[in-house]
Amino acid sequence: MTGSFWRYTLLIAGKDLRIEGKSREVLYTMGFSAALVVLVFSFALSNATDPAQGPITAAGVLWAATLFTGTVALARVLDRERENEAIRALLLSPAPRAAIYAGKLLAVSLLMLAVEVVLVMLVGVLFSAEVFAHPGWLALVLLLGTLGFAATGVVFSAALLRSRNREALLGALLFPVVIPVLLAASRATACMFDPLAPDLEPVAFWVRFLLATDVIYILLGLWVFAPVVSGE
Amino acid sequence: MPTTPAPTSTRFLAACGGAFLLLFLACLAVAEAPLESVMGLVQKIFYFHVPCAWLLMLSTLVCAGGSIAYLFRGSERGDRIALSAAELGVLFGMCVLVSGPLWAKAAWGVYWQWEARLTSSLLLWLMLVAYVLARRYGGTSARRLAAALALFAAVDIPLVYFSVRFFRSIHPQTTVVSTLGPGMRGAFWLSLLSFTGLWFVLMSLRLAVENAQARIVELEVLLDQAEEKKS
Amino acid sequence: MTMVALAYGFIWLAVFGYVFTVGRRLGRLNAELEELRRRLERTKT
Repeated sequence: MTGSFWRYTLLIAGKDLRIEGKSREVLYTMGFSAALVVLVFSFALSNATDPAQGPITAAGVLWAATLFTGTVALARVLDRERENEAIRALLLSPAPRAAIYAGKLLAVSLLMLAVEVVLVMLVGVLFSAEVFAHPGWLALVLLLGTLGFAATGVVFSAALLRSRNREALLGALLFPVVIPVLLAASRATACMFDPLAPDLEPVAFWVRFLLATDVIYILLGLWVFAPVVSGE
Repeated sequence: MPTTPAPTSTRFLAACGGAFLLLFLACLAVAEAPLESVMGLVQKIFYFHVPCAWLLMLSTLVCAGGSIAYLFRGSERGDRIALSAAELGVLFGMCVLVSGPLWAKAAWGVYWQWEARLTSSLLLWLMLVAYVLARRYGGTSARRLAAALALFAAVDIPLVYFSVRFFRSIHPQTTVVSTLGPGMRGAFWLSLLSFTGLWFVLMSLRLAVENAQARIVELEVLLDQAEEKKS
Repeated sequence: MTMVALAYGFIWLAVFGYVFTVGRRLGRLNAELEELRRRLERTKT
């Protein structure tokens, strides 16, 4: 990857993050929806406050909420390009397509991570889970899980840019593909939150799995993004 | 609108015949196979279940190949092949996901287990269903989107096949095929061959539909041009 | 025994269900093709 690739990546990510910084639209809407999802789960699941089962449930709820509301971040970050034919300007610019993908990936991931930090604390409170028992591992799992989701999401969201059925289709297409990521991330997180877990061996395993999956998804995304978005 | 009743296409008849023959052949192979000592008759589901699983993978691979040709070379033919293969993947995936639990109930006492191979197969099938849905309801950008989806689905294949190696599970290890007794091995390979033949027959039929549609579009264009010239 | 019958039965049904559905569609498309070809011939005369 040449220097200009990274320069464009950071430029594009920076642009999206600056826009977000002004309106904070994604942070508030995604954050609020995700918090609501967590709240709904904490009411709906009767074992929420159970000291043994609560923490494990917390992990699942955290990732389910992230996945369900992550589509908001995806839609908004890509949607901006629909207005005023911005996408065409972006595609005509000297920025390589791969850099556009990487930039969007970075922006979406960072936005999602910001919301996830709040979710982690919320989930810790509502499900009585020791969420900061292993902060380093948790940070790693959050990062890898988010990247896996966003890597696929950016491709599909970009492909749906001009589709009228965008909202309905994005979830339907994205969720089956990211289930391996969900599985690995929630299992790893559950092991970290579980007060009775003997060791963090499963976490190490799932982190390796997530790493491999992320590498594959990102490489695939980089390869496929150009032809998918060139139709716009 | 067509003024004559739809003729029974010879290709359709050939497909019917071919499908019947091949399925019958597979059944014959299975009937001839010796009974397995532990599980008895139920084990014979294996002779259909495994070939269907193999066809699910094959369909996904072909769909991915067609999608690559379409995305990177604009190959319309690749796109048609991809769509046909995806539908067959949905079909044979259904067969796997129905026959598997039926066997599981008899062999392990439960219909389903959230272990690696079953889970991955289910996911793969879901992604192919999503592909077909995207093609039908996705609008103009559907083809590229579906093609991207097919590639992500293809990445799931190694996960499905090798997951048994890495996760401890009660699903039979993939090496079970080579440990089959001689009578069973022959029946298994014959069944596999028959099913693969069936897959080609179905692909040929399904592609004929896509090709016919493409031809119709061509002819409509020609007709418009011809009628314009006349007037 | 029932499990085996159910499994096999489903596969036969699914395969032939598919063959018939696709076959009918192919028949309709072929008829449409014939019609278009005839109309194209007529414009040439």
